[in-house]
Amino acid sequence: MLWLALHLPLLSLEAFCATLPAATAALADPRRPVALIHQHRIAAVDAAAAGAGIRPGMKRATALALVADLAVADSDAARDAAALQAVAHAALAFTPAVTLQDGQTVLLEVQASLRLFGGLATLQQRLAAALVPLGHRVQMAAAPTALGAALLARWHPADRGDLVLGVHARQLPALQRLLDAAPVWMLGPGREHGEALQGMGLYTLSDLRRLPRAGLARRFGAGLLDDLDRALGLQPDPRSWLALPAVFDSRLELFASAETSEQVLAGAAVLLARLVAWAQARQARVGAFTLRMRHECRRQGTVPATELRVELAAPASDAVHLQLLLRERLGRCALAAPTLELQLHCHQLVAGPAPSGELFPTRASQDEGLLRLLERLRARLGDEQVQRLEPVADHRPERASRAVPAQGPATTTAAVAAAAATVVLAASPLPHHRPAWLLPEPLPLAECGALPLLEGRPLQLVSGPERIEAGWWDGPPAVRDYFIAQADDGSLVWIWRGRLPAAAGAAGWFLQGRFA
Amino acid sequence: MPTPRGLPPASRTADPLPVASRTPEPGCLPATRSTRPGTVAPAPADRPPAPEDLHPALWHAHRVARPHDGVLPSGFAELDAQLPGGGWPARLLTELLLPHAGVGELRLLAPALAALQRQRRTVMWFDPPAAPCAWALGALGLDARQFVVVRSRAGARGRARERLPAADVLWALEHALNSGHLGAVLAWLPAWLPADALRRLQLAAQAHDGPAFLLRDAQQRTRPSAAPLRLLLASAGPDRLRVSLLKRRGPPLAQPLTLALAPVLSAPALARAVRGPAAATPRVGVPN
Repeated sequence: MLWLALHLPLLSLEAFCATLPAATAALADPRRPVALIHQHRIAAVDAAAAGAGIRPGMKRATALALVADLAVADSDAARDAAALQAVAHAALAFTPAVTLQDGQTVLLEVQASLRLFGGLATLQQRLAAALVPLGHRVQMAAAPTALGAALLARWHPADRGDLVLGVHARQLPALQRLLDAAPVWMLGPGREHGEALQGMGLYTLSDLRRLPRAGLARRFGAGLLDDLDRALGLQPDPRSWLALPAVFDSRLELFASAETSEQVLAGAAVLLARLVAWAQARQARVGAFTLRMRHECRRQGTVPATELRVELAAPASDAVHLQLLLRERLGRCALAAPTLELQLHCHQLVAGPAPSGELFPTRASQDEGLLRLLERLRARLGDEQVQRLEPVADHRPERASRAVPAQGPATTTAAVAAAAATVVLAASPLPHHRPAWLLPEPLPLAECGALPLLEGRPLQLVSGPERIEAGWWDGPPAVRDYFIAQADDGSLVWIWRGRLPAAAGAAGWFLQGRFA
Repeated sequence: MPTPRGLPPASRTADPLPVASRTPEPGCLPATRSTRPGTVAPAPADRPPAPEDLHPALWHAHRVARPHDGVLPSGFAELDAQLPGGGWPARLLTELLLPHAGVGELRLLAPALAALQRQRRTVMWFDPPAAPCAWALGALGLDARQFVVVRSRAGARGRARERLPAADVLWALEHALNSGHLGAVLAWLPAWLPADALRRLQLAAQAHDGPAFLLRDAQQRTRPSAAPLRLLLASAGPDRLRVSLLKRRGPPLAQPLTLALAPVLSAPALARAVRGPAAATPRVGVPN
């Protein structure tokens, strides 16, 4: 067994900072110290606050006396758990055996994944790269036991410098040697008895190991010895693996209400990063997702939550692309009220092999680029503004083609069918020509004598009539005589007049289209 | 990228031999100040390089330029003979100025668009002036199903005041050109445009490997434009199109071309149309 531990020392601070709007003054000055408070005591501090002398466990008043402009906020266990779960989801893309050790540590069993990912070093690199979008500082360590890896990742000695990737101990004796110097408070029960252990002069795990076990168990309970043995691999340490939820649902309560779509987007970017981590753990790509925005109450009453549904023409697992689509979609809707909470929901995943990355453009990458362009246009302008034409077998020109929303480039089978249809269209003996431009509504023309006028000049009828009688089955029938007429400048237009003079509202000449 | 009219810096560092020695017309020379000779690639001693070999954006003003990028034959031999490179240029804007929609512009472009469709490349239309008829396009050899039609939002004119009327189509057009995945674009632009719109589009078109047609009103012919190729279209009788080259990379063309379009009219009807309105019109209401 080879365990990889991911320890996130600043998890709660980073989870809190993700809820801050990017443009507020609190973050505009990055040097303003931030501290989280739990039950009136400081729970977590950032580097600036720690530099000013604020330590976890201090009272709030003490901390504020040290640094007057300290930004304090309540710590939120649910927020931290959601952030940690996203990290675990990202880890699930590399191994199915992932478990949570405590509120800040995720454990992965990676022995079976080493060959696929090309060794431990490559696996660690890829894991670190997959964790970058979540924006956490990660300490990573590998060890043959679960607890040993967790201890090594957590134990981040100052003299090792900024060793984010941690230390490696792949063999049990080496692990034991490494852990001998680890402080005793890192064991779970060791924290409870920290003062007593310190009073007895027990500082490191090696001090603990040298003592008689029976006496140690009697004094501090069996838990301390059990933990020690599990860390050193002397006792089995069964774990239950984390199961991936079938539906993604993540919430983010914003620290300050977001008033612009940019601020909403900054919050949604955090959720989208989690969504991509979840989708990659399922080895699938996102087909559609919904962003729900809960607004703050107005005096007139509650504002209903806004729901934005983004559907992708082709499933994607690219956070940047999803963010781009959401930006266009957000730009199209007006925020009813400042937003307090964001919720991202996704239950539409598309499983399948991911598109392969190619160096040179191919037919497939061309199609994908076109698909992304269409998606972007649809997200910005709306689905009904990006259309394809569909010929319909109807003699009435206003119904002979239909605009349908363009989903993507014509697929291969559709293209083949369309190519066949083109041949049919071109080869079918159309008795008369149709104009390329059709007016949406027939335009009534003025008359001079029996001849129609277009823009004050008489039209010359050069061909016709072509009689079209159709549509008795859906509404008033069209009974028309069509003519091709030549306008004053030589261009050709298509005009008609009702054959039956009794047809009300259809008397006189109408312009139907122009030959382009 | 140097502007089409401006001279790129490469021309000033041209070979010491004045270009005038090989170009008889002195009025149409590029600048021949050779302050730093020798900064260009060494030329054979006996034959200095022609200016158009020095930089792809250079051309002799008295000669039709040879474009460095691909061209798409227009399908009309007499038009191809006058277009630089012998066809519609890729990566450049082509402006077609029309008095009104329906003078034969689609029949002019149809052979080129059909060639693109045979290569399975997508053609995108922006804001066409009316609904295109799929059957008419089919008769021109085009498959209407392969076109993507992008329309600007109706609210762009009414509901949302702060948006410019052309904002939607310009945004979409610029992204479509920048993506480089389209075979060709046809855009019907509104009469009023922001001053830098065409220049932005021309910059975006450099990523677009195919022709980009802008169809605008003929009243814009007096306005300056960043498009390197401008054509004025007018009807020259039934099934005939008069094409004037207002601007191209080369000398201006004095005489407009008259192209025979794919016929709409049958031979008797054409004869009737050519005879003009004085001739007898068919009796209305009686099929002939």
